[in-house]
Amino acid sequence: MRLCIFEDDTFDNLYPLTYLRPMFELKCGHTSLGQKLVRTFPGLPPAYFVRKSIAPTFAKRTGSPVNDSSMLTGDSVLLANGRWLCLGTDVKAEGPDEVGLCNGEVIYVRASRQTAAQCDGSNVFQFIETAKSKLPKKEVKATLIGYPWHLVNHNGEAIEADFKALGKRGIEGTFSQHAAVWGDEGSVYVAKGAEVQPFVCLDTTHGPVIIDEGAKINPHTRIEGPCAIGKDTLILGGKMRAETAIGPVCRVGGEVEASIIHGYSNKYHDGFLGHAYVGEWVNLGALTTNSDLKNDYTQVQVHIKGKLMDSHDTKVGSFIGDHTKTSIGTYFNSGTVVGIMCNVMGSGGVLPKFLPCFSWFFNNRFSRGYGFKALLDTARTAMGRRKKALSPEDLALLEYVHHITRDEREELIKKSRRELLR
Amino acid sequence: MPTVSERVKTVTAKILKLDPKDISDTADFVRDLGAESLQSIELVAAFEEEFGIEMNEDEALQVKTIDKAVSFISKVMAAQGKA
Repeated sequence: MRLCIFEDDTFDNLYPLTYLRPMFELKCGHTSLGQKLVRTFPGLPPAYFVRKSIAPTFAKRTGSPVNDSSMLTGDSVLLANGRWLCLGTDVKAEGPDEVGLCNGEVIYVRASRQTAAQCDGSNVFQFIETAKSKLPKKEVKATLIGYPWHLVNHNGEAIEADFKALGKRGIEGTFSQHAAVWGDEGSVYVAKGAEVQPFVCLDTTHGPVIIDEGAKINPHTRIEGPCAIGKDTLILGGKMRAETAIGPVCRVGGEVEASIIHGYSNKYHDGFLGHAYVGEWVNLGALTTNSDLKNDYTQVQVHIKGKLMDSHDTKVGSFIGDHTKTSIGTYFNSGTVVGIMCNVMGSGGVLPKFLPCFSWFFNNRFSRGYGFKALLDTARTAMGRRKKALSPEDLALLEYVHHITRDEREELIKKSRRELLR
Repeated sequence: MPTVSERVKTVTAKILKLDPKDISDTADFVRDLGAESLQSIELVAAFEEEFGIEMNEDEALQVKTIDKAVSFISKVMAAQGKA
């Protein structure tokens, strides 16, 4: 039997986080949605189905088959929706052929080899459609991630589930005698090679704390569970508040609350980040801060696919795309969406709630800055510092995203230019 | 109808907050007019808006003086049918 994880056609609801990765590579907790599915159905070799534009880069990252339709029909299959936040489920790999639905959305398709062979395996969506027409349907309880703030909202419970699934407790790394656990010591895991330095407090009164391999926690840091610090991440002092997942390979200081920092990103200095999701290779300059609560406590609107959408939530921070850099003193409003590869320079006020991919923002105006080529050069430099490189596949994907985001970017740049000469 | 040179000077004066009369034909944007890096980007954007053209950022940012900007913009205008 195989586990096939598929990306459905709502990937753009999760922009800017999904421009460069499939939905199931997004983190919720210490691990991604996809990693949670794989561990829920152990022993099943995974295969993946993703949109065409990201397939080459994703295929390079994973050792498993990508968009190989023979994976759908050659064996019995459990086809799982990549947006499924699977923190424990009654669904088993083995069982009768059926389609699991939650509020009309496909959560999984379970099909025997014989049934799978009878489904249209030309592509994953055809397969699902034929399975829906042939197989019994079962209503199941499941959480599907629909929008970026859902990842943040479920982050705490996802960290707790990851801690349980990890099955490890205690100190395998270094824990200074001048550091303390406040609360249940059994709710801490400090992995091999990790280092908790003096005057660090791990507060487990509301949830577990995971400090993964090679992570270092500098003095004067308070980490409040549930919280997960990823591999080789450096915490430079400050408050890592509950429901926060950071890493791998991040450098973070200041105050972070209920946020996800995907990996390879820096927020080295003071400044508040709350209810936010930060992509990879992001650098937040000193005192960069986001609001995550409006002064009138009303629900936060978020820019999704060109329109402001009500999140139905009062605590929503910012969603920052990969490779974006902010200057010192950048202030983001609640629910701000920043595209990939932006260069944002705060000028004292709160910035617009939507900054399109590859744009520069300074002097309260949008600009192309030094252009696309210069942004790529900056990305190469930043990645080189961590011994990583942009592959030809990455480059092709960035060119594609630059192309598909051109209109929304140029519209704002043109408006800014008219103001420039007014 | 103002010449390209006059329009370049007017735009430059507006972005750099100068008097157009103080801008000579051979003035260097950085050395003589005090343009900082972000203002250079704004100058490129403003020239594109003023002349209705699109310039290659790398090439445009290599232009150092008013007279070279005039000839560069004139060339781009001709190539893009805006002359």
